Amino acid sequence: MSTLTTLQDILMEEFDLARERLAPEAKLAALGVDSLDLLELMFKIEDRYSIAIRDDVPTDLVSVGDVVRYIDRLLADRERAGGAARPAPP
Amino acid sequence: MNGRRVAITGLGVVAPQAGSVAALCARLLEGHSAIQRLGSPFEEGLRSPIGARADFDCAAHLPAARLRMLDRVAQLALVAASQAVVDARLDFATERRARCGVSVGSSMGGAGTTDEGYHILYAQQSQRVKPYTVLASMTNAPAAWIGIEYGLAGPNLTYSTACSSSAVAIGEAARRIASGEMDVMLAGGTEAPLTFGVLRAWEAMRTLATADPHEPAASCRPFSLSRTGLVLGEGAAFVALEDWEHAMARGACIHAELTGYGLTTDTEHITRPSVAGQAAAMRAALGSAELAPDAVDYINAHGTGTLQNDAAETAAIKEVFGERAYRLPVSSTKSMHGHLLGAAGALEFVVAVACMERGAIPPTMHLDAADPDCDLDYVSGRARSQALRTVMSNSFAFGGTNAVLIAARPPIHA
Repeated sequence: MSTLTTLQDILMEEFDLARERLAPEAKLAALGVDSLDLLELMFKIEDRYSIAIRDDVPTDLVSVGDVVRYIDRLLADRERAGGAARPAPP
Repeated sequence: MNGRRVAITGLGVVAPQAGSVAALCARLLEGHSAIQRLGSPFEEGLRSPIGARADFDCAAHLPAARLRMLDRVAQLALVAASQAVVDARLDFATERRARCGVSVGSSMGGAGTTDEGYHILYAQQSQRVKPYTVLASMTNAPAAWIGIEYGLAGPNLTYSTACSSSAVAIGEAARRIASGEMDVMLAGGTEAPLTFGVLRAWEAMRTLATADPHEPAASCRPFSLSRTGLVLGEGAAFVALEDWEHAMARGACIHAELTGYGLTTDTEHITRPSVAGQAAAMRAALGSAELAPDAVDYINAHGTGTLQNDAAETAAIKEVFGERAYRLPVSSTKSMHGHLLGAAGALEFVVAVACMERGAIPPTMHLDAADPDCDLDYVSGRARSQALRTVMSNSFAFGGTNAVLIAARPPIHA
């Protein structure tokens, strides 16, 4: 499953949003996802991918695509460090 | 009260055993207690695992995205306040919102969120404290959310005076209307204390009732010789208060007039109730309503079920009402809905007003053995039909803040 699909699943579940609104270019603010929601979202992402995200989540994550790229970067870092990059089962 | 008359145009509650004012009155007049054993995990770690849970499914009232940001204390408040707004038929789109405000009492605020955060941090040894922890647990969150919900730009206030918090919130809101400062105030209280940490803390004070081994619902026995303490409950209650002329101009249905508010402080001890302080608060409320003691038809007592409170309150009522005290119906509905702490004053004021409308006095339940120090007419065991014109609601608190509210039936031609 792609990172985008996984993120869309989480957003649909947690924020009652329809998948068609969750294109990569969709702005988080327009979806009603504010900066604190994003931090809460990171907990779900940590669980789903079994990765640890520190408190200093970048403040320039504006769109769904930005979050996807951020997750992919964390996964790549993890893979380089020798960990599993597969999403954990939901 | 000095100044403009204050109309009560809306009532709302989310209470133990009832999700509406009508249902709550019906249950209380039946003498039904909502106090129950709380089950796991309370049974495992508490000596007295009892409480009165609100009949409330938050997901049925609030969208998931909003729920995440709200402690149960704010969820209860938003729903009870919305009932009061609907009941009052208030349309804030047509109001001058800078002249509309919110006044809320809460003792413990978002205690469940605080408890959960500490559990994550200390017990689970995890750093994943939820980002909404501060916003959900801050004591003024319920008031803030109500203000946001209706766009009320006047004062948004939270009072925390322990068990009198919401009586103070209602009284202070009434004063703002009487003074001419505000036209409409949503005022009330909310509390969600049924978490393990909160219950354990109250238990450590030795103030909680022992669970009745045969009938948990009968564990809270105000004014009884066999009383062993209070039982915590959760819920919220709100009134819509309005300038009388403002209410009349829009053709509002007026439940009652808030005529009196008395506020005094005991300074002797942090917990021990003062007969003089309680009596002074009742006298202040009568003075504010410009009423003689004979005019009061019913008192909804603070009546916690603790040894100290019930005896002190009885003595204070005698001091204020003299011989009439023995003919004045006094009841403690906490015997059925438990002690809602910061929400208690608002809940019991709503109960007193709604029962006045129904011409009925709710009983004190489980008063099975007479205490010689508690010798008034406590309306024991069964509700009483009686026309009521003026009702008083007492709220006394740790910290010493005594608050008394008085409401009267509106004149027939009002």
